[in-house]
Amino acid sequence: MELVLQSIANALVQSGFFSLWAVGLVLIFGVMGIINFAHGEMVMVGAYTVWLLYAGQGLPFPLALLAAALIVCLLGLCMERFLFQPFRENPLGGLINSIGLLFILQVLAVQIGGLGLMKHVPPAFPGTLELPFEVRIPVQRAVALVVSLGLLAAVGWLLTWTRLGWALRAVSMDREAAALQGISVRRIGMFAMGLGAALAGTAGALMAPLVRVEPYMGHAVIITAFIVAIVGGIGSIRGAVLAAVLYAFFHTFVTTYYSGTLATMLGLFIMLLVLVIKPTGLMGSRLRE
Amino acid sequence: MNRAGGLRIGGDNYKVEFVSYDNEYLPDKALQGMKKLVGEHDVKFVMMLGGDTWPAVQPFATRRKLLTSTLLPSDLSPDAPYHIAPCEVHPIYNVTGVEWMAQNFPELKRAAICAQNDSLGLPSVATYLAAFEAAGIDVVDQNIFDPSTTDFAPVVTSMLASGPDIVCLDTCYADYVNLITEQLFHQGFKGKIISCTFDNYQDVIEKTSKEFVEGFIFQFPDFDDPALRQDFINFKRPKDFYEKFVERHPGQWSAVAWEYASIMDLWKAAAEQAASVEPLAVLEAMKQGGRAPHAFGDASWWGEELWGIDNALVGNWPVVTVRDGRARIEEFRSIPEWWSCYKDLLVKHMEAMGLMHYQQG
Repeated sequence: MELVLQSIANALVQSGFFSLWAVGLVLIFGVMGIINFAHGEMVMVGAYTVWLLYAGQGLPFPLALLAAALIVCLLGLCMERFLFQPFRENPLGGLINSIGLLFILQVLAVQIGGLGLMKHVPPAFPGTLELPFEVRIPVQRAVALVVSLGLLAAVGWLLTWTRLGWALRAVSMDREAAALQGISVRRIGMFAMGLGAALAGTAGALMAPLVRVEPYMGHAVIITAFIVAIVGGIGSIRGAVLAAVLYAFFHTFVTTYYSGTLATMLGLFIMLLVLVIKPTGLMGSRLRE
Repeated sequence: MNRAGGLRIGGDNYKVEFVSYDNEYLPDKALQGMKKLVGEHDVKFVMMLGGDTWPAVQPFATRRKLLTSTLLPSDLSPDAPYHIAPCEVHPIYNVTGVEWMAQNFPELKRAAICAQNDSLGLPSVATYLAAFEAAGIDVVDQNIFDPSTTDFAPVVTSMLASGPDIVCLDTCYADYVNLITEQLFHQGFKGKIISCTFDNYQDVIEKTSKEFVEGFIFQFPDFDDPALRQDFINFKRPKDFYEKFVERHPGQWSAVAWEYASIMDLWKAAAEQAASVEPLAVLEAMKQGGRAPHAFGDASWWGEELWGIDNALVGNWPVVTVRDGRARIEEFRSIPEWWSCYKDLLVKHMEAMGLMHYQQG
């Protein structure tokens, strides 16, 4: 019983991270039609910001978190303006540009912090929550989960209840039709990019005290984000969140009861299976041309 | 070395020129680098990390009869007679930590082990399995995880579910050791932790507590350790070396930080003995009498039964624990003595994992 409950607690924390990674990716793809390969590096930039400002300069963690979100948001806006917008008619151009940026960001991280051992980011919220049935969660992880859930709820609210969110969803469904309704597709694209990037930056910042902060940490992020986005249905934010939760539970339980290697292999296998059997994913309704 | 006069050959002193090449751990670049070092710089000795880059380099290096060294003895093979492991005999020295623990904490009988699934982790798993079996300790869980793992909470939950009183972190990468130890702290582990390395343990203490990390067993000392001032230690001025390293590279001292310096000491002694820097002459001088001065005491050239060639220098290895927040050597133990008693166990576990040299494709 304790093992199951501890695994559920572990999976919930992972769900929060996976959701933030994937929702940002899906948002950008859904609205702009661009697969942003540098999404993992955006998470890395968020983590590095916290390392530099919180661990290095002693800035309070919440301020460093906010700075990470803003810096990565700004990075996203610059990407949209200078890398994606000029290639709007050529999705491959944007994709290739994002791959180029991925390497540039990695090299920059090496220049700033070097290689070698991971960057030391002490927990901002030390201690362990001791719950019934001997379930234990580090406070830092619990805070990360709460912030992730809060952000996802805010994104959900934005998309469901605001005019901006409706416009965003409209562009995601049909660009031409949205434009005919007077929606500025370009502005909405900028907004989606900024929001997706900010979510990635926040995820990186939240993770920084918990994971390996190093220049190549984006690799694992992008692979997981792709698995989640594809299983959920490319372009579907609800699908991404659902798939993130399912994948986190699946990965955690297989790792706990069998092995981590098997969990990763089966995760990729499930992604392939979904691509073959239901290419639109769990909640995607159509395939983008 | 150069400040102390350099190499003394035939009554003259020569400065040693060091040329570096970053192969980015890519096999193609490693070969390119080796050709550049030999072709453009006429190097006489190449020190490599080894591992995945070695197979790409091996045919060229062997054909040119170039003396090369590795930190990973699993690179050794009869096909590469000029390739030596003169410093670290990973992962065999890990047996000394288990042996010391079993003698000092005989009440600990159940071990869980975890490692990343790669060429560094798996041979070490086989070694720890043999060492635990030799010490009469049951291995109650083995968790081999994907090297790209970012969250170690499930790995730790899985290990703790088997109720171990020892958690063995194998030769997990240094960062993984730190993250797993942190998880062990948060998930309430109360037993003993043993690992090959424990780099940046001060960071872990900051993330957990001094009390939790107290007694952590591993294999690599800080070189300001008073135990390294003993007469049988062949590493010159270890404390000065450590302090200079830490001053130049803050936060970067690691398990292998001292190893290239140690290898150079050995090479220098052999070159001076041979009165030559030519690779074959130096190698012959190094292996004369089957023994050579290893950093942790005089050692023997060994390895035939594991790697098919006696090109690994093996002798004593330190068992280190964290004592009052500092890494301190508890004891030096003999690897050959363990081997003479339990070699069948190690070969059995290596064979079970397909890791013996004659099982390699």
